Amino acid sequence: MKQKNNSIAKFFVKMLGNEKYQFITIPVFSIIVSLLVGAIVILLLGKNPVEAYGNLLQGSGLLMKEKYAGGKGMLTDFLSFVDYWTPMIFAALAVAVALKAGLFNIGVSGQMLAAGFIASVTVGYSTLAAPIAKPLVIIICFVVGSLVGGLIGFLKHKFNINEVVSSIMLNYIVQYVTAFFIYTKYVDPVSRQSKNIADAARLTLKNVEIGALKGDIPLGIILAVIVAFIIKYVFDKTTFGYEIKAIGFNTNASKYAGINVGKNMVIAMMISGGLAGLAGATYYLGYFCSMQPKVLAATGYDAIAVSLLGNSNPMGILASSFLINIINKGSTYMSSKAGLDAEIASVITGLILLFSACGAYIQYLVKKNKDKIEENKKAKGEA
Amino acid sequence: MSDYIIEMKNITKKFPGIVANDSVSIQIKKGEVYALLGENGAGKSTLMSMLFGMYEPDEGEIYVRGKKETISSPKYATQLNIGMVHQHFKLVSNFTITENIIMGMEPQKKFLGILPYVDVKGSDKKIAELSREYGLEVDPTKRIDEINVSTQQRVEILKMLYREAEILIFDEPTAVLTPQEIEFLLDIIKGLKEAGKTIILITHKLEEIKKVADRCAILCKGKLVDVLDVATTSTKEMANKMVGREVNFEVDKPEPHYGKEVLSVQNLTVKDDNGFDVVKNASFSIRGGEILAIAGVSGNGQVELADAIAGLMPAAGGKIILNGQDITHDNIRKRIDDGIAYIPEDRQKYGLILDFQLKENFPLKNYCKEPFSKKGILNYSEFDSFGEKLIEKYDIRSGQGNKTIVRSMSGGNQQKAIIAREVEQDASLVIFVQPTRGLDIGAIENIHKQIVAEREKGKAILLISLELDEVMSLADTIAVIYSGEILKVADAKTLSVKEVGEFMMGVKGNETKK
Repeated sequence: MKQKNNSIAKFFVKMLGNEKYQFITIPVFSIIVSLLVGAIVILLLGKNPVEAYGNLLQGSGLLMKEKYAGGKGMLTDFLSFVDYWTPMIFAALAVAVALKAGLFNIGVSGQMLAAGFIASVTVGYSTLAAPIAKPLVIIICFVVGSLVGGLIGFLKHKFNINEVVSSIMLNYIVQYVTAFFIYTKYVDPVSRQSKNIADAARLTLKNVEIGALKGDIPLGIILAVIVAFIIKYVFDKTTFGYEIKAIGFNTNASKYAGINVGKNMVIAMMISGGLAGLAGATYYLGYFCSMQPKVLAATGYDAIAVSLLGNSNPMGILASSFLINIINKGSTYMSSKAGLDAEIASVITGLILLFSACGAYIQYLVKKNKDKIEENKKAKGEA
Repeated sequence: MSDYIIEMKNITKKFPGIVANDSVSIQIKKGEVYALLGENGAGKSTLMSMLFGMYEPDEGEIYVRGKKETISSPKYATQLNIGMVHQHFKLVSNFTITENIIMGMEPQKKFLGILPYVDVKGSDKKIAELSREYGLEVDPTKRIDEINVSTQQRVEILKMLYREAEILIFDEPTAVLTPQEIEFLLDIIKGLKEAGKTIILITHKLEEIKKVADRCAILCKGKLVDVLDVATTSTKEMANKMVGREVNFEVDKPEPHYGKEVLSVQNLTVKDDNGFDVVKNASFSIRGGEILAIAGVSGNGQVELADAIAGLMPAAGGKIILNGQDITHDNIRKRIDDGIAYIPEDRQKYGLILDFQLKENFPLKNYCKEPFSKKGILNYSEFDSFGEKLIEKYDIRSGQGNKTIVRSMSGGNQQKAIIAREVEQDASLVIFVQPTRGLDIGAIENIHKQIVAEREKGKAILLISLELDEVMSLADTIAVIYSGEILKVADAKTLSVKEVGEFMMGVKGNETKK
C-alpha cells in the first residue's frame, strides 16, 4: 500500500511539481478534479456525464450538434457564444482592477445597467448613423460606468464608507431608478421590457450572412481582448500599476512611500467602473438590445467568480471567462438535450470555484511530497 | 529515573525551505534556570514550541521526568505541568485578571444546589493569595485593559502557576519592558527558582542570562553550538559563540563634527485620532553629523513625533523646518524628495510591501523617478540591477535573492532591506525608529555601524529607541520624552544612565519644573 501511495505521489509531483508552470498546471488540475466531481453528481442523477459535458460544448458551438435548423450551424452557436462571452470579459476585468487595488467591486451589475441605460436613451433611441453611434455608445458607457465606480471610490476615500456596502446600495438605486424611467417612458407594451434600440447603435451585427449560414457578429470581442492586454501592460509595466498593486497589498506602506492612496483608489475604481460600463455596453447594446426593468445582469456577479478563478490576471481571465461561459451558455442546450436541470451548470461552476480556492493547498501538498521524494533520493544516493 | 526533568533528544523540525532545528539535544535539570540563547531564526522558539505541544517534531524524542512523551497539544503540555509565557500575550482585554487566569478551567459552584455558576469571588481570593505567595502583586479584579504591560506579564505568569506549572517557559519576556521592569521580572524569576520551579528562558539579551541563568544553551542556525555554565563564562564569549564570530560590543564612534542645522522642530504638537495631544510643544534641533536620540518608555509619543516629521501624521501646531525650509504642511512625497529618510517602527506594516518581491521593495520611494521609470513606464532591468547591488552591499540574505517575496524573509533581513533602501535615498535627515527591535546581536551590531556611518557622512540622525543601552552608546545628544513632552535635551556626555532612566519615568522632570 505504501509503495502504491508513493508512486501516486511521484506521479502528481511529476505532473505538478515544476514551479515554473504551476500557475497553469494547478488551475487545470483543479478544474479537472471539479469536472470529475461534477460527473459524479450527474451520475447520481442517473444521466451520462460524458454526454452532458458534450452537450455543454455543443451548446457553445465548440462541438458539432447532430442536426441544425435551417441557416444555423456550429459557427452560429459559436458566434452567439462569443457574443455572450464579451461582457463577461469586461465585467471580470472590472472586478480584477478593483481587486488589485484591494477593493471589492460587487457593484459591477449596477454599473453595467447604469451605463447601458444612459447609452440606450441617448444613442440607442436616436437616429444617428452607425459609424457615429457605435463609438459613441462605447464612450458613453465607459464614462457613465467610471462615474458610478468613481463615486464608490470617492465615498471610500473621503468618508471611509465600505465599498461593498456603497456598491450594493448603488446597485439598488440604479436598478429602481432605471426601472422607473423604463416603465414610464421607454417601455415596450408587449415585452414589458424597454423598447429595442436601433440596430445602428448595436455593438453586435445581427443575422449577418456568412456563406450558407446566418450569425451574429460581436464587434465588442475585439475591444475586449485588446483591453485585456492593455490592462496587463498597465499592471506589469507602468508606475500607475505599481502604485495600485502597492495600495492593494498595503495601504500604510504605500502612504509611507509617498503614494497618494486616496487619488489612486478613486482612479482604480473609475477604471473598474468604466470596464463595467463596457460590459454593460456589450450586454445591453450588444447581446441584448433592451433592458428588463428591475433586473440586474447575473454577469456582474459571475464576474467575481471568473476573476478569482483567473487569479485577477487579465490573461487568466480570458481563459477562465471562456470556461465559465461554456458552462453558462451551454447549459440551456444541455438541459433540453440531456434532460438535466440547467441549474446543474451552476453546481459545476461552484465546484470549479471550490477546487480553485484550494490551489494554494494543492501547491503546498505537491511541494511537501516533492521535498520528501528528493530527500529519499538523496538518502539512497548516500547509501 | 534520570536526573533531568526534561530531555529533548535529537530533535529535528523542518519548515518549507528551512531546517528550524537540526538534531538538537538538550537536558534540563529540575530547579534550574536554563537559558536558550541564539540569534533570530536560530530555532529557539521552535524548539520550545515543540516542548509546549504547538508543533510536533519531525524526528527525535522528548522525555519529561524520565518518561517518553508525545506532546500533541498545549493542553497536554499543561497536564505535564509545562507552562509558557508567549512573547505576545494571550489575554482577553475586557476580562478581569481573575477571569483571564481561570479561563478554561473555571471553578464552578451551584446556586441553590442546582444552577451552576462560575465562582469568580472565590477565585479572586485564591489568586490574590497565589500572587502574594510568589511576590507577583496584582489586583485580581482589575480588567486587563486597565493595567500596564508588565502587570499583564505577571498575569501570564500567574496563569501558569494557577495551572500548577512546574516547568515555566518564558519567550523573550523582557522585549516589551522598561529597564526597571526588567529588573523586577528578573527578581520574580529568581523567586520562582527558589520556589522549586524549573525555568526555561528564551532570549537574546546576554545581561539577563548573566543575571539569572544557571546554564545556557546556544543555538545557531538550528544547531546546538554549546551548553555553557553561565557563572564561569563571560558575556563576550557567549556572544561570540552565538553569532559564530567575534563581536564588538563597543560602538566605534569618532568625535562628532557638527555641520549646520538640518532639522529644527519648533513647538510641535500632534493630536491622535481622538483629538488627544500625544506630542506636546516639542522643540529640538539636529545638526549634520549629529545623532540625536530620543529616549522614553514605549507609548510616550515617540512614534507620533517621527510620523509627524515624516508627514504621516499632521502637525496640530508648531513648525518643522528642514534645511531652512518650512515643511510643516508638505505632503509625504515632497518631504522624501526634500531629504527625509525614515525607518519606521513597524517594519511590516509601514516599511515594506510584504507581498512584493525584494527588488520591487527597494525602489518603493523612487519608482516614479528615473532611472526606475520614464514617463510612467517602469524599467524592470533597473529594478534588477539596483536590487542586486543593494543585496550585495548590505548583505541581505533571502531564499531567492531579488525575487524573494519579502514576507518569507526573516525580520532581521527585512530590516536590512529597509535600511538599505532608506540609506540609499541619500537624504539629509535619517529617522530611525526602534531600528534594532527584535533583532539579534549580529544584526544590531551591523545596524549600529550603519547609523554611525551615516553620521560620519554628515547626515542628521534622529534615533528613537526604547533600548536605553542603544541610546547611551550611540547618541551625541539625548532628548528624553515623557507623556508627549520633551523633558530634557542635553549632551549625551553630561547624562548618566540613571538620570535618563529617571527622566523617562517622568520623575526628575516634574521636580525640576516645580
